[in-house]
Amino acid sequence: MTDNMPQFFQELFHLETSDCLTFLFYFIGAFILVNIASVIGGLATYAERKISADMQLRIGPNRVGPYGLLQFLADGAKMLMKENIMPLMADRFLFNIAPMLCLVGIFATLAVLPISGNLTLAHLDVGVFYVVAISSLVGLGIFLGGYASNSKWSLLGGMRGASQIISYEIPVVISILSIVLLSGGTSFKTIVHHQGGLPHEWFVLHNPFTFIAFIVYFIGSLAEANRAPFDLPEAESELVSGYHTEYTGMKFAFFALAEYVEVFVLCGVGATLFLGGFNVPFGLDTFLSKTPFPLLAEVVQLGAFFTKTFALYYLVIVIRWTLPRLRVDQLMSLCWKYLTPIALFNLIGTAIWMVYFHDQSIVEIIKAAGSHAGGGH
Amino acid sequence: MVSLSSFLFLSFVLFLTGLMLVLGRKSIIFVLIGLELILNAAALNFVAYSRFVTEKLDGHLFALFIIVIAAAEAAVALALAIRFYQLKETTHLDELSELKH
Amino acid sequence: MLVVAIEKERTFEKVAIVSFLTILFILSALLMLVSCLALLLTKNIMHACTFLLAALLGVAGLYLTLHADTLAVTQVLVYVGGVVILMLFAVVLTGGQDQESITKEKFPHLAPLFGSKSTFLKAFLVSMIFFVAAASLLRLGEKEIVHVVAVNYAPTIQSLGQLLMTDYLFAFELVSVLLLGALIGAALIARPMKK
Repeated sequence: MTDNMPQFFQELFHLETSDCLTFLFYFIGAFILVNIASVIGGLATYAERKISADMQLRIGPNRVGPYGLLQFLADGAKMLMKENIMPLMADRFLFNIAPMLCLVGIFATLAVLPISGNLTLAHLDVGVFYVVAISSLVGLGIFLGGYASNSKWSLLGGMRGASQIISYEIPVVISILSIVLLSGGTSFKTIVHHQGGLPHEWFVLHNPFTFIAFIVYFIGSLAEANRAPFDLPEAESELVSGYHTEYTGMKFAFFALAEYVEVFVLCGVGATLFLGGFNVPFGLDTFLSKTPFPLLAEVVQLGAFFTKTFALYYLVIVIRWTLPRLRVDQLMSLCWKYLTPIALFNLIGTAIWMVYFHDQSIVEIIKAAGSHAGGGH
Repeated sequence: MVSLSSFLFLSFVLFLTGLMLVLGRKSIIFVLIGLELILNAAALNFVAYSRFVTEKLDGHLFALFIIVIAAAEAAVALALAIRFYQLKETTHLDELSELKH
Repeated sequence: MLVVAIEKERTFEKVAIVSFLTILFILSALLMLVSCLALLLTKNIMHACTFLLAALLGVAGLYLTLHADTLAVTQVLVYVGGVVILMLFAVVLTGGQDQESITKEKFPHLAPLFGSKSTFLKAFLVSMIFFVAAASLLRLGEKEIVHVVAVNYAPTIQSLGQLLMTDYLFAFELVSVLLLGALIGAALIARPMKK
């Protein structure tokens, strides 16, 4: 596998290396990725409406386009045409930059998202840290948006949202740390290489501690993205839509898009860390990369990554329309009294497992015990 | 073009700004903002020397410790500021002149 | 001086193209300097916290130009995700507005230190000029630098981890005890008082 994306394309098209070409590849790659992420965010709104309709025995959007697929474009056009209202006593500077902070905080994490072996924009060695660090800008954007609206509902929603995000970062990061322990590096490439294609080679089934870590990570990422049942900061019946009450038009669209893309990024990171990432079962990608069409290997890896991510996304949507909302004190006690001790226990358990069983997964231990018992060599 | 002296200049500007905030402002939170800037200037200095003069990573580690200690100190200082506000209903530094409330 | 001469010769052909490192350096330095200036001139404390955020992001960009990738990410993680949000909460919990003075001057907060706005600006400029003069006189940055010309872009996280666990283990443990003390202390101090 080549080192980075421009090198892969330069070898593919037999071009000579130059700084200008590298910059061009990065620019075009980033542009395409941002657009694809926005389309995924828009389609996620459509998917949510369709899935919730399915669960509630209704039909959902089916007017705009075939099966209502273009509904998100109609919503986007509607938001573009809305009037941009700013409250009179609002803080102009902070009111304007809060949605931008939310958006930048999420779209900057797309650069390290491991969508495929050679098409990832940047194989950073501190990839996992980078995602956690940059996505903490979202909490800042929520708080500033809540404060700058100069309304008590917005301030309450903003404070609750920011405290929820910074509290739930802790069990999420500790769960991620137990995976980093297992794979020996914070780079996404290392983590994916330590897993295989088939489910028994994934980290989620490696040992019972990582299984619990996956559940803790999933619950924590639901709370990070302000998704139900943790969506108190933006609940309609509690806080009149919380921190984005006073936002209209494109700024509100930024907040909403940032939330949907954040769920996508967190599901993608979860699929990479726990479900094997872009690994394809039965070694199909290594087989395809030796044929005269190495791009097919990338396409197959993309398919694997997106299948796993969208499966997790479906789970997130189903959970939203199934469970009732948590109160703010229940939310905080869930984080500090339950999830954080469980995550710490997982970390220590994973470390002990690594020392005692020498990094073998449960399946490998059973296989070794089987071959040892059946006349092993 | 990017040399050691440019980084030293930048850390000097940071330090100067932080110093002016600490000495010249009368609200507790502004003083704490200045303090963060001073600590960052010192950390930037360490990392710049580690890159341009040695090949080892000791400067990086020192800057890491500075970041951690600055975060701990900011937490305690802000807790003290909140307690001060609970006592005096203001954050003006001139009120902080007696030992016993 | 010989090392410096060879270095200057080899980097001659790269002079025409401005490398990405230089662009990143200029952008981060500009962000940091503009935020520092805005911090000195603002009265609103929420804006001051936002400018602090921008200055710290600029410093993180500068760390990236110094090949300190782990440090840049840690800076963003700790400061942006922790300290700045903490300051914003503390501002909201302590009244939320700047209670410095009630005069009608445009920059009243600069007055106590230097008497008047023009004195303040003159003092700032004089200290800048003094620094640049001192730096050029002492020829900072032109000494015989003993680093390799082909710059080592190795990622630092593995070496930092090894250093933390071998050479700096005692400091690491001490800092963790300090963090525990700060956590408990801050939670205890900021409790609401019982009447």
